Amino acid sequence: MMPYFKFDYFSVDFSLVIAFVIGIAFGFVLERGGFGNARILAAQFYFSNMRVLKVMFTAIITAAIGLFYFTWMGWLDLSLVYTTDTFLIPQIIGGAFLGIGFIVGGYCPGTSFVSASTGRIDGMVYILGIFFGIFVFGETLPLFESFFNSTPMGRVTLNEFFGLSHGLTLFLVVLMALGAFAAAEWGEKIMAKKNGRGAE
Amino acid sequence: MKERLMKLSTPWKLAILAGLLGFIALLIGNPSNRNVIDVNAKEMALATVKNHDRIDAMTLADWLIKENADYTLVDLRSEKEFGEYNIPTSVSIPIESILNSDLMRNQKILLYGNDDVASAQAWFILKSSNYKAVYILKGGLNAWKNEILFPKLDASATAEQTTAFEKVKQVSLHFGGTPQIISGGTATTVAAQTTVAPTMPKLTAPAGKVGGGAKKKKEGC
Repeated sequence: MMPYFKFDYFSVDFSLVIAFVIGIAFGFVLERGGFGNARILAAQFYFSNMRVLKVMFTAIITAAIGLFYFTWMGWLDLSLVYTTDTFLIPQIIGGAFLGIGFIVGGYCPGTSFVSASTGRIDGMVYILGIFFGIFVFGETLPLFESFFNSTPMGRVTLNEFFGLSHGLTLFLVVLMALGAFAAAEWGEKIMAKKNGRGAE
Repeated sequence: MKERLMKLSTPWKLAILAGLLGFIALLIGNPSNRNVIDVNAKEMALATVKNHDRIDAMTLADWLIKENADYTLVDLRSEKEFGEYNIPTSVSIPIESILNSDLMRNQKILLYGNDDVASAQAWFILKSSNYKAVYILKGGLNAWKNEILFPKLDASATAEQTTAFEKVKQVSLHFGGTPQIISGGTATTVAAQTTVAPTMPKLTAPAGKVGGGAKKKKEGC
């Protein structure tokens, strides 16, 4: 039964090998999706190229549908799949910081590594920035630790929070994604007309 | 109809597929009901025959002394009984709430009640809910009392038995127990204190938290 690691199908050492292989595949797919290019990524925020939104939502609903049906077929114990605990306010503010960094630098942490590995200098500089940021965060954490741990909600999922069935939640998320795809296509056309060039 | 479907671009086909799967999910509702369990009867029967899943009191005492912490010790008795006495490091999870606890399916879990009955029932519930490593403390708390807290040695014991008892005595004193030597029907305590009727050791600080489980490890991206 999945998740395999939690059921001791293999050791910690071997899990690193698997993580390496999956990581390579993940990076490769991101690069092929165009996520190694800061211009494409940043264009998301000016609504001229909605590729980020499309790729993200595709990944989300693919994974969500897979997890739902695997659980339904008894292949997967969803309660063992790790979910980050929710700390509402700190995570909203942290998310806003990430968004600002995304617009300014053109990458999110993962894509900066993809970009750096293809030899882009801006990606490499971005990685240096990440490490500097981690260092500053680590050194100054005691100053805002109470805020960092505020509004803890534990492990929350959408269906538990709203009291909906798992299937209904999935259906709504899929609808939202399909709606977002349609809106993105439409938005790109409008922006292309406005900018006088086709969507990339 | 078929021709129309074929003409659609790949993104459209995928979108329709996702929409369909989402809709079917809506009809399915909840993919797993945690209160209904599937049992592989044969596997369970084999597991009980092999006796691999029983840990005796002495082994547990040994683990506790060595501070071996790769398992969670679960007290299945009521919270009141747990408050009166519990084996060090145990957590209180009354048997009726065993499936709603924080116990993880991949955790090593050692169960005990007053005797073997409650732990055997809980063992069955957990095993059939796909908990991987579930063990029973052989004889439960009663065995813990007899073997660890209040071990007895007959006065007419052989030298071998006495040597063995010496070791048990040390273990017993470690857990605040009262080892006794029985001669002619009267028990004499070996420990420094001279109370004739053995008393339960007082609960000392780290008695484990009520209803809790092991702290979750940080993981993720």
